[in-house]
Amino acid sequence: MVVTAWCTAFSGFAALGLAIDRHHEDSYGRGKSPGARRPWLRLAGTLALLLSLAACLAVQGPTQGWVLWLGVLTAGALVVVGVLSYAPRRAAPLAAIAGVLAAITALLALI
Amino acid sequence: MKEGFRQSMNWVHTYSGLLVGWVLFMVFAAGTACYYRDEITLWMKPELHQAGLSLPPEVEVVSNTVAALQQRAPTAQRWFITLPTEREPGVRASWSAPPLAKGAAEPALEPGVTRRGRLYSAMLDPATGQPMAATRETRGGEFFYRLHFDLHYMPAIWARWIIGFCAMFMLVAIITGIVTHRRIFADFFTFRPKKGQRSWLDAHNATAVLALPYHLMITYTGLVTLMLMYMPFGPQVTYKGDQQAFTAEVFPATGPRDPKPSGIATPLTPMAPLIAQAQQRWGEDSIARINVHNPGDAVATITLSRKAQDMSSAQPALMFNGTTGKLLNEVGEDRGAVITTRSVLYGLHLGRFADPLLRLLFFVSGLAGCVMVATGLLLWAVKERNKYAKVVANGGRVGWASRLVDGLNVGAIAGLMIALPAFFWANRLLPVGMAGRGQAEIDLFFGVWALAAIAGLAWPTRRMWIIQLGVAAFMFGAIPLLNAATTATHLGVSIPAGLWAVAGFDLTCLALGAALLLCAGWLGRRKPSAKAVRAAPASLNREPAL
Repeated sequence: MVVTAWCTAFSGFAALGLAIDRHHEDSYGRGKSPGARRPWLRLAGTLALLLSLAACLAVQGPTQGWVLWLGVLTAGALVVVGVLSYAPRRAAPLAAIAGVLAAITALLALI
Repeated sequence: MKEGFRQSMNWVHTYSGLLVGWVLFMVFAAGTACYYRDEITLWMKPELHQAGLSLPPEVEVVSNTVAALQQRAPTAQRWFITLPTEREPGVRASWSAPPLAKGAAEPALEPGVTRRGRLYSAMLDPATGQPMAATRETRGGEFFYRLHFDLHYMPAIWARWIIGFCAMFMLVAIITGIVTHRRIFADFFTFRPKKGQRSWLDAHNATAVLALPYHLMITYTGLVTLMLMYMPFGPQVTYKGDQQAFTAEVFPATGPRDPKPSGIATPLTPMAPLIAQAQQRWGEDSIARINVHNPGDAVATITLSRKAQDMSSAQPALMFNGTTGKLLNEVGEDRGAVITTRSVLYGLHLGRFADPLLRLLFFVSGLAGCVMVATGLLLWAVKERNKYAKVVANGGRVGWASRLVDGLNVGAIAGLMIALPAFFWANRLLPVGMAGRGQAEIDLFFGVWALAAIAGLAWPTRRMWIIQLGVAAFMFGAIPLLNAATTATHLGVSIPAGLWAVAGFDLTCLALGAALLLCAGWLGRRKPSAKAVRAAPASLNREPAL
């Protein structure tokens, strides 16, 4: 479940990052703009961060869960910064992998 | 007006951060190390690495410990017992002996027992109650804990005022930093490497913004831990200066601090029923500490305190009559909103409630804080240097403030990165039986730091950064080798054996060494422009620091 929390935070932040023009260009090539996909990327990113919160609250309970979430957000965002700066083309595939991993671990935890 | 406000906040941010940044870097670094205080202490006591302790049930641990104390200190004024945890698998026991009769010689210490004044302490094996192998004298991780708010070589009260002053500036710097940061969301993920001043600003912004909740929390709660010292006015007015009445009401103790013995010898009540009562209230393995006052006397009392089960730093306690086993008093099940708020803020700062993962996240955020302070300091230096670019190109010198800040930056940042591993090296290389060993380690820490700072102030150049970061990288990176050379628990042993506390320390030092090496290498690659070097006379050929 903690893996779920981190993976959703990572892919959520990656989506929010890809909605920003500069990072979108870095990831998909010069002149590319998120265009009509921008609101969807933002929505998906926000939802992923909220899912991350839900996972944290499920792991640590309603008080410490918030502390865990803030820590997970920091750890997720730091890695997104690293990926967007040094391997921007990998950002979208990595976010997708993290999303799948989050779904698998969440299912395993719920079963 | 809006622009004016932001700009004035920019000025406040710059100088509130700069003036206290050097102290703050140390506080952040030492404070971050404290998340692994127990692990650092264990690493610094290699005699305990392979103790391989098994944890018997709580009742058995307590009865073993009490038996051991009854044998060693039947007439002590107090016993303090800290029960083992996963992070510290030994029983910490200490007892205060009555004052010696005049002219009587101090009895020889049993191996594994240490003495400070009239207070004896020992680490006991939970399964046998016997003192564990004699360990070398060291302050261990405790040193960093004290350092980050008590400093050293000065009265703690002065140090706490200094630290409080710096922490208040930090809080101001964080809040003005948020105001002055124009593009928090647009630049949320931005880091542009190898772009000079731009990169320093990006790194400063990223480490500050991404761990912002942590920075605000740790600075504010840090002030809260000492708030009654910094802001005693409310209670003073309300309680009309009666400090004792305030303390008694706000921090209720289970009993008087120093109850007088009656002088009538009475055997201590068995512990098992008391522990059963505590377990019934709090659950299995829930006792953190046991304090016994006047053991073996008719007025003996036994106090059991609960382990942290939530974020609060204040945990409930039960006090029993030490001869009949009757429950006398209980505190802290419900302390009211104000006390709970303070205890939770205090508890958040200490982070004792954190499980290994949350602890790691706190540690990562703490490292981000160190990077934030360091890049902030460097940013000022880089900006200031840029103002002098033309002067230097024409053979002039940079201003004294710039040189001073450069020197302090080298000393405070790179110097501390050398002093930290020097402390660990001293722990392994000083003779094990040396007198005053614990203090000698600390003196070496400060000695090495002072040397690095003097060198930094004398030659605040880029080359000095490379040299000091290189030395720091070597000293951190070689710690696994040092451990392998001085103990039997090197990484090849500790990882397969699952000794994660020891292995984690080695691996963290290795990672820090690698990171510092990257920094040194990065500084070494970027050459100052050939024009600037040619233009400057040989005697003034000081390269810009960064």
